[in-house]
Amino acid sequence: MILCVHVPTFGLALARRDRPDIGDDEPAVLADKPDRGRVIEVDSGAHALGARVGHTVLQARAAADRVHVLVHDAQHAHATWMDMLDALDAVSPLVDDSGEGTAYLEMRGINGDADAWMRRALHALRGFDLPVRAAVAENKFLAYARTYAPDDNIGKLPLHVLQIDPRAIERLHLLGVHRLEELAALPHGPFVRRFGKEAAVWHERARGIDPTPLRPRAHELQIDAAVFGEGSAQALEQVLFALRVLADRVCRDLERAGRATNTVKLTFECENGDLREVDAGFAQATGDPRVMLDVIRAKLEPIVFDAPVTGLRMQAMQLEECGAVATLFGQNGADPQALAVALARLQAATGSMPQRAHTRPAAVLERRYGFEEFRVASTSSAVLRRAQDDRGGAQDDTAIIPQLKLLTVKEIDVTMNANAPQRVQHKRVLNCAGPWRVDDGWFHDPVVRDEYDVLLEDGMLCRIYRQGSHWYLRGSYD
Amino acid sequence: MNSAPCLGPSVSATFESLKAGLDVRAGGRIVAAVADAFATGFPALDEALSGGFPRGTVGTFEGAPSAGKTALVAGMLARATADGLAAIVDDGSLYPPDLERAGVVLERLLIATAVSPLEIARSADILLRAKAFSLVVMPAVPLRGTVWSRLCGLAQKSGTLLLSLALHPSTELAYFASTRVRCAIDRVVWADGSGLMGGLAGYEMHAHVLKHKRAAPGAVARLHIGAAS
Repeated sequence: MILCVHVPTFGLALARRDRPDIGDDEPAVLADKPDRGRVIEVDSGAHALGARVGHTVLQARAAADRVHVLVHDAQHAHATWMDMLDALDAVSPLVDDSGEGTAYLEMRGINGDADAWMRRALHALRGFDLPVRAAVAENKFLAYARTYAPDDNIGKLPLHVLQIDPRAIERLHLLGVHRLEELAALPHGPFVRRFGKEAAVWHERARGIDPTPLRPRAHELQIDAAVFGEGSAQALEQVLFALRVLADRVCRDLERAGRATNTVKLTFECENGDLREVDAGFAQATGDPRVMLDVIRAKLEPIVFDAPVTGLRMQAMQLEECGAVATLFGQNGADPQALAVALARLQAATGSMPQRAHTRPAAVLERRYGFEEFRVASTSSAVLRRAQDDRGGAQDDTAIIPQLKLLTVKEIDVTMNANAPQRVQHKRVLNCAGPWRVDDGWFHDPVVRDEYDVLLEDGMLCRIYRQGSHWYLRGSYD
Repeated sequence: MNSAPCLGPSVSATFESLKAGLDVRAGGRIVAAVADAFATGFPALDEALSGGFPRGTVGTFEGAPSAGKTALVAGMLARATADGLAAIVDDGSLYPPDLERAGVVLERLLIATAVSPLEIARSADILLRAKAFSLVVMPAVPLRGTVWSRLCGLAQKSGTLLLSLALHPSTELAYFASTRVRCAIDRVVWADGSGLMGGLAGYEMHAHVLKHKRAAPGAVARLHIGAAS
């Protein structure tokens, strides 16, 4: 047996509930936007006045000048409907979500009769203050239709109960078919030939036949653990002890559910009312409490609480099926989780995330490179393969490439002779290459300068440049 | 009554293999074969170091500014990132395009930016504990002996080579470093001469092994521009 729970014009009913100033007998329509939107739901009063689904708001107001136009809040409607489905879990474990406003519950094997089930469902949804209807039947369509026919006379119901294209309903009206019993009386073969394959489903439903199976919704799995009201923790060891306990609990639940988590969200509640949230992400999904605790400890290193911690909640996020793609780290055999812990600890120690460099073509040497966050996931075997391909396998000999070390730019004294630096900071220049004119960024951040590499008498090899009439030291080679 | 020590056959065999592995006389200088060495990629330097820097130790490249220390380290980073991960503690002087020219795979080089000696020491500590890097490079900063002692222990546990670049190493670093190499440039080689069309091509330099705990020190490697010889 199937129990149907239905809220006619759910969005409109919800919007009307949130506007207590609008009386029950006053006509209203639901629009997707306040002014230039279109009508998406119409109540019976507005329908009688001439407002229709698909009208613009102006058209609806023109058709029914006293109509109230309410605006649809999709997020709020979805959240409310999810809450209603959760409430229906108390009535049956198998709940089929058929879109906002309609749900089917499998009632086979559940104690009580049809009246008791309906009472239970209505009681479960009582707190939502919405015009909920409930009915029980052998299949989904019959149960749905009965929500509109309290006297069980389904044959007298209008065709819109079939939830079919309004244009098809108009065509049927032209044929003089207005009610389900009139549709059921039509001969099946000719009717289907005239209206197409989908007409077979309408005809069967009008005769009370609906083979559509019940598809129970999947429950969103939430795994978390919390410690509240068990005193306060003033020392780091106490917090870590509580975290260890919570990590154990969460990992046990993860194991039972056959899941692993990519991130845990920690919420700390302090004695002074502060609420602090910390996200600890893992290199790959894990269900190991030791790995979890290592990363959490590293994440907590830079955090200072102003007051003792009185509450702690650990929530496993981004759950996924167990089993992770192994990352190859070449000959090092590095553990990605250990690397993730190191990254978190480095961030805590230095205040900045560890980075990796990348290069790009540019005229100005400062614009030839950039940095990005070092991520474990991107340190994959593909990078390794690319590296080996680029280098043609193992290298035997390495070239000595001079390395520029950037120094804090400072102005220097340079003496010129024959258009070449002769002395730099009073030191004789032994050799010099350049100048290389750099002229870039004229459109927003102009840089115009002449650069030189100079070898000084004390052995220093420097990159210097002249900008305007001033000379600067940019770096030294090593 | 005195009797000659009687060694069992297994002990004798072990002794012989150790002897063969460790003591190789060459040119009147005892050269010890360093097991599990991190080859620098410069054959002359590797020969002077008896195979390279021992893994799991602290090593130094020393020398004045423009002595070629960073050029040698770049070569080692290129080897390390070819088949694994390497890390460098940067004090803000890193110029990645030159590292890339030296063959370093930048995607596999972790750069930890640290300025103060304490931050640099902590960063090196964390990187060594990760056991994920075959080579960690850090600038030489004045640290207490206990800190160097801890870093040595961590390097040994993780099998990572910790290289420090120093102008003049502190007494503590000189003591705790297993291998010390002093670098100096003999000649700067300019491509196409000097002036407008010229450019810096490379160095001819030498590296002097000042200290080697697992082999004989004193060797000098002469390195030429392009591939070492």
